[in-house]
Amino acid sequence: MSKSIRRLVIVLVLATWVIGMPCAQATPAHKAAFERHFDRFLTRNLASCSTCHLPSDKKDPESLDDFPHNPFGDALHKAGEQLKRGGKKRDISSRLALIASQDSDGDGVDNLTELLLGHNPGDAKDTPTSAELQQAPTRRAEFAEYLKLYRWTPYEAVTRPAVPQVGTASFLVRNSIDAFVLEQLQPNGLKPSPEAAKVTLLRRVYLDLIGLNPTPAEITAFEKDVSPSAYEIVVDRLLADPRYGQRWARHWMDVWRYSDWAGWTGGNQIRDSQPFIWRWRDWIVESLNADKGYDRMVLEMLAADELAPDDDANLRATGFLVRNYKMGSREQWMEDTVNHTSRAFIGMTMHCAKCHDHKFDPVTQEDYYRLRAVFEPYEVRTDPIPGMSDKKKDGLVRAYDKELTAQTLFYIRGDERTPDQKKGALSPGIPAALGGSLDINPIALSESVAHPDRRDYVRKALLAESRKMLEETRAKFDPVKDNEKTPSRQRSEAQASLAAVRAKHESLVALFHVEEIEDAGHKKTAEWESAAREALAAQRRTPVADATQSLISAQNAAYEIRQKLAPTTQPVSKTVADKATADLKALDAKIESSQKLLATAVTDLNAPPDTAYKPRSTDDYPATSTGRRLALARWLIDNRNPLTARVAVNHLWARHFGQGIVPSVDDFGRNGRPATHPALLDWLAAELVENHWKMKPIHRLIVTSATYRQSSIAQPDGLSRDPDDIWLWRFPSRRMEAELVRDNVLYCAGKLDLAMGGPDVDHSQGLISKRRSLYLQCAPEKEVEFLQLFDGPNTNECYFRRPSVVPQQALALANSQLVIEQSRALAKELSRDNDSPQAFIKAAFLRILARPATADEVEACGKFLIAPELKPDRARENLIVVLFNHHDFVTIR
Amino acid sequence: MAHAPKNRKSHPCPGVTRRSFLADTGMGFTGLALGAMLFRDGKARAASAHEVPWTPSDGRAHFTPRAKSVIWIFLCGGVSHLESFDIKPELNKYAGKSIADTPYKAALDPEKVNKNVIGANPNHGNRKVLMPLNTGYKAYGKSGLIVGDWFKCIGETCADDIAVVRSLWTVHNDHGAQLTFQNGRHPREGGTFPTLGSWATYGLSTLNQNLPEFVVLGSPTGDCCGGAWTYGAGYLGPQYAGVRLNVDPKKPLPFLSSADAAITLEEQTANLGLLGKLNHFAGVDYPDDKDLRARIKSYELAFQMQRSVPETVTLESESEATRRLYGIDQPHSKSFGQQCLVARRLVERGVRFVQLFHGGGGGGDWDSHADIKAGHGKLAAQVDRPIAGLIADLKCRGLLDETLVVFGTEFGRSPGSQGTGDNAGRDHHPNGFSAFLAGGGIKGGITHGATDEIGFHAVESPHYVTDLHATVLHQLGIDSRKLEIPGRKRLDMDHGKPITEIINS
Repeated sequence: MSKSIRRLVIVLVLATWVIGMPCAQATPAHKAAFERHFDRFLTRNLASCSTCHLPSDKKDPESLDDFPHNPFGDALHKAGEQLKRGGKKRDISSRLALIASQDSDGDGVDNLTELLLGHNPGDAKDTPTSAELQQAPTRRAEFAEYLKLYRWTPYEAVTRPAVPQVGTASFLVRNSIDAFVLEQLQPNGLKPSPEAAKVTLLRRVYLDLIGLNPTPAEITAFEKDVSPSAYEIVVDRLLADPRYGQRWARHWMDVWRYSDWAGWTGGNQIRDSQPFIWRWRDWIVESLNADKGYDRMVLEMLAADELAPDDDANLRATGFLVRNYKMGSREQWMEDTVNHTSRAFIGMTMHCAKCHDHKFDPVTQEDYYRLRAVFEPYEVRTDPIPGMSDKKKDGLVRAYDKELTAQTLFYIRGDERTPDQKKGALSPGIPAALGGSLDINPIALSESVAHPDRRDYVRKALLAESRKMLEETRAKFDPVKDNEKTPSRQRSEAQASLAAVRAKHESLVALFHVEEIEDAGHKKTAEWESAAREALAAQRRTPVADATQSLISAQNAAYEIRQKLAPTTQPVSKTVADKATADLKALDAKIESSQKLLATAVTDLNAPPDTAYKPRSTDDYPATSTGRRLALARWLIDNRNPLTARVAVNHLWARHFGQGIVPSVDDFGRNGRPATHPALLDWLAAELVENHWKMKPIHRLIVTSATYRQSSIAQPDGLSRDPDDIWLWRFPSRRMEAELVRDNVLYCAGKLDLAMGGPDVDHSQGLISKRRSLYLQCAPEKEVEFLQLFDGPNTNECYFRRPSVVPQQALALANSQLVIEQSRALAKELSRDNDSPQAFIKAAFLRILARPATADEVEACGKFLIAPELKPDRARENLIVVLFNHHDFVTIR
Repeated sequence: MAHAPKNRKSHPCPGVTRRSFLADTGMGFTGLALGAMLFRDGKARAASAHEVPWTPSDGRAHFTPRAKSVIWIFLCGGVSHLESFDIKPELNKYAGKSIADTPYKAALDPEKVNKNVIGANPNHGNRKVLMPLNTGYKAYGKSGLIVGDWFKCIGETCADDIAVVRSLWTVHNDHGAQLTFQNGRHPREGGTFPTLGSWATYGLSTLNQNLPEFVVLGSPTGDCCGGAWTYGAGYLGPQYAGVRLNVDPKKPLPFLSSADAAITLEEQTANLGLLGKLNHFAGVDYPDDKDLRARIKSYELAFQMQRSVPETVTLESESEATRRLYGIDQPHSKSFGQQCLVARRLVERGVRFVQLFHGGGGGGDWDSHADIKAGHGKLAAQVDRPIAGLIADLKCRGLLDETLVVFGTEFGRSPGSQGTGDNAGRDHHPNGFSAFLAGGGIKGGITHGATDEIGFHAVESPHYVTDLHATVLHQLGIDSRKLEIPGRKRLDMDHGKPITEIINS
């Protein structure tokens, strides 16, 4: 479609909405389908309910009686019934085809002609003029041409389009992608470019798939391998490389809004996201490396806690939901969840419908709140993990349903202060226009899920800690209590301290014994009764030991002070005396209170045995989950969902080519940007689903296509006809993402730490740490400055990165500690094996730019190295700095 | 004032040849052939033009601009409007009385109080016992503008140059409103939305060749209240975000000087010379690479910045009289005085938008919940002389005509007292507060809008904060509706309306 035509379409679409509907509304889905069918051929007056309906003053018509059809609408309706009886597809196109040549309103002009000329086919009074009728044949011919184009219907389930048959004389069609691309190049007068030079292609696919340069050895090996499958072998190796997961996880972390916890640094107050959310990041890396299906990933991110509640490894996936945690506002939390779930997975801007029905897409305001209802019950929590007794220090952060009956109200005009009480609570749901429904079944959860603090490993960790405490105390006091030389007061105090710790430990042991019996389901048995009695007895002993200890300790302290103040010792100053008196007073009070406590504790201890022990304070959660999120996730990944697979492959494509087939990757609606290769997108979506949603086969398909393997060097024809490379007549160069710039500076210097996983590295360490950049802290206000200068991820939303070129990037690459240190290390290393300046230059180009230096380049650099003012070593270091600043270093060609 | 836009984005250039590439970008790192300052017009903007009836901003004003640059002064924490530019004698008259016992009890109508405040922090508001004014006041200049004694320098020096808007309101009663003041959105919506400075720099091309277009001075908002978002560019992209400069010639900007202090200027020049050569070799294969052109230019600008930025923040060359004018000779006003002086120097050197923060970090220094008398007194002394000096200096240099100065804060402070006795302060107050504007085609010596007699509600010509944004953009010659990005629908409230009553016709 040409630019001017697209422009017209948008104007028409906007015009439709400006005029709006006066009272009754036609079924929005039908109306939208009708508009889509005619697209730019529908004039604004016909993008209206009145094209098919008679005027009505009913406000919310519920049936055709309220809002009757005009003769055209009637014919259209009957055509649908006829098709249905015949068991045929009764979409709007088929129906229109049946009645196009009829004259429903009997004014002498057929329906299609009237429609194309902007006159109502259901209104006999509205007929084209004879001048207009002269235009009819041209108009009909144009429309027929238009109908032949691939009809992209993003709100209808994907059907795999046929692969076009295209001539292959000058261009190798390596796979179906190329056929689709070629099909659109030809009518635009464009020719594909030849394959890129081997070294260029190698660096491109390395950076694309694993985010790292090929090493000189890898370059040489590839250049030597002349077999026809040399490239495919590299691709397969890279896709199997764990560094692939690290590279592509960062892309998906953008789309899924990964953020480490953020908050007030002064007070450690968690305001956004949660600590330990890095486990979700690790789950993404691992899932990608294992080539887990995208469908399964969506299921687990939205509902791992409902899908497999006892599977801790996959519970990490719910970090997608945890990330939306917002201390300050549950309203915003819910809004973010609805907004970003719909944009990430189905490319729909549902948040527009928070305040009003969507102006462009088939989403009502009620749809918005029904989707919100899916999430209304959920909250976040941190579960204990083995080996750790304190959840504040480490744990598994995850989503769960907390308020099983939480109500979602419809906010009038989106204002939380005006909930629509008349409408009442809304049930969970999805936009009807996308088809399907939610099949919600509550899910029963195991004891271990509802009471995670009572898991065996938690008791083990607590016991281990208590035992350690006991050992430490014993190690401290044993030497004292048995040492005859130690004054007896001190010995008894040591004994009391040890006794207190031991009592606590024994009480814990006894308590856990009861818990284990209870957890095994043996409550109220004789065994339980005896254990419970013992637990209570142990719990009664603890305060006795505690009170004894504090009594002895206070008595000793008081004794010490009295000794000091005794008339036999040296006189003390008034301040010291005053303080001593005050201390004594406090100690006397403590002695008295300890005695009382002891008395009470002893009374309790001597009370008759009982089973009413005091249970441990634990975090307990509902034993059921609503099943709403699981139902939503299943609806999303249903093969009939029209958007999920399309949006997913578009994300993949966008990151291989720097632009999505639908360039607005988070908006497939009418306010987004139109697909450039709709048939290709549908074909890829079908391919994804048939490959069990596995992403590696799609990557392979894309990077082994001839389209991807094209050179990025310009051709005059291409530049003049398609300067933005919309039709892919060459491979589009692009700048590396921020993470790649940093990673490759370190990697080229041989210093990158490729370790997988673990907690985020503090953002202040950005220039010092050698870890891959995806492991550096990334949260609002806690970002690595170097990465942000290169358009690092906006943690708030980052569906697609737009690389900028600003002078601060030049400063960072030329002046930062990172680049200077790595340049020195690399210069030193390369000088070891390359004595001559020429050898050094060539080695440096191969290492940093992953290509050989040209003669011009060797000459220019050679002159630079012999500059008289500098020591040779220094000049070499500077040359490396310059190469890290080279446009070719930061560019994927 | 007609200033021909100097540096223009050239049109995408199909058919660029190798030769033209070399001619356009100059060979090697030589003089600045900056006929077309391209560095910000990378691929992203060009690509968006595809088949959508929308083109990115071309850097030209939409109509004749009245101002070239903006100095946007923001005082963090909430300045009392009641004791600065919206003096309320009734507070003295009814001091100690509950509002409910005064003729102004209608102000407490909860519907009115909560009308615009969303997601209120319940710890704030509801201060009913009126507190008397904590400072005196006086009429100044021909206009007789009444100003609190805390700001007497501004009164004495600029009363006839400024237009006070006394009827602002905002949507949040906590310090997140600092973010709101910059981007018009409720703080909980975070940093997705561009701030005023980024809109201005997105809309207009640069006026200079050696400095960033949008500069931030002083200690910005703390991370509670927007942090870096308060000068961010949201969805416009980071190239339009403010660049923070420190008034310290040794380290004014991150990475401005080499991590290796031993690297000499000659070495740097030699490095950049080689880099320029190598990039041009690469350019022969990719003559149409807009990013490459942009990158070559960005290195030239970066190199210029290494010298021009430290020079701009070096104030030794300013006369003693000028330093005194800005209060740099006084310890309490030295720091902010230096920032104001740097702001003038930046504007002189063609920086489009200077955002000047005072009292940033945490909730903000001006947040005088307790002992407002001492707190505000001390803080006002830090800024009063410098701001008055800045306006006077701009005026005497003939720069005030083309420089728009704005004085703002996130909200006012409550007429009712928080606490009692000497320690009493005022609470947050989003329902009515003040800002003032000067220069850049703004009328001098006038007030616009009004709060009620106790300064509670904005009752006459109320303005949401984006009306200030619209006013600023209008003076810069920009129609914000023409800058909208597809897929980023802005609400009427985001755009705001220019306050025409204070604009010179």
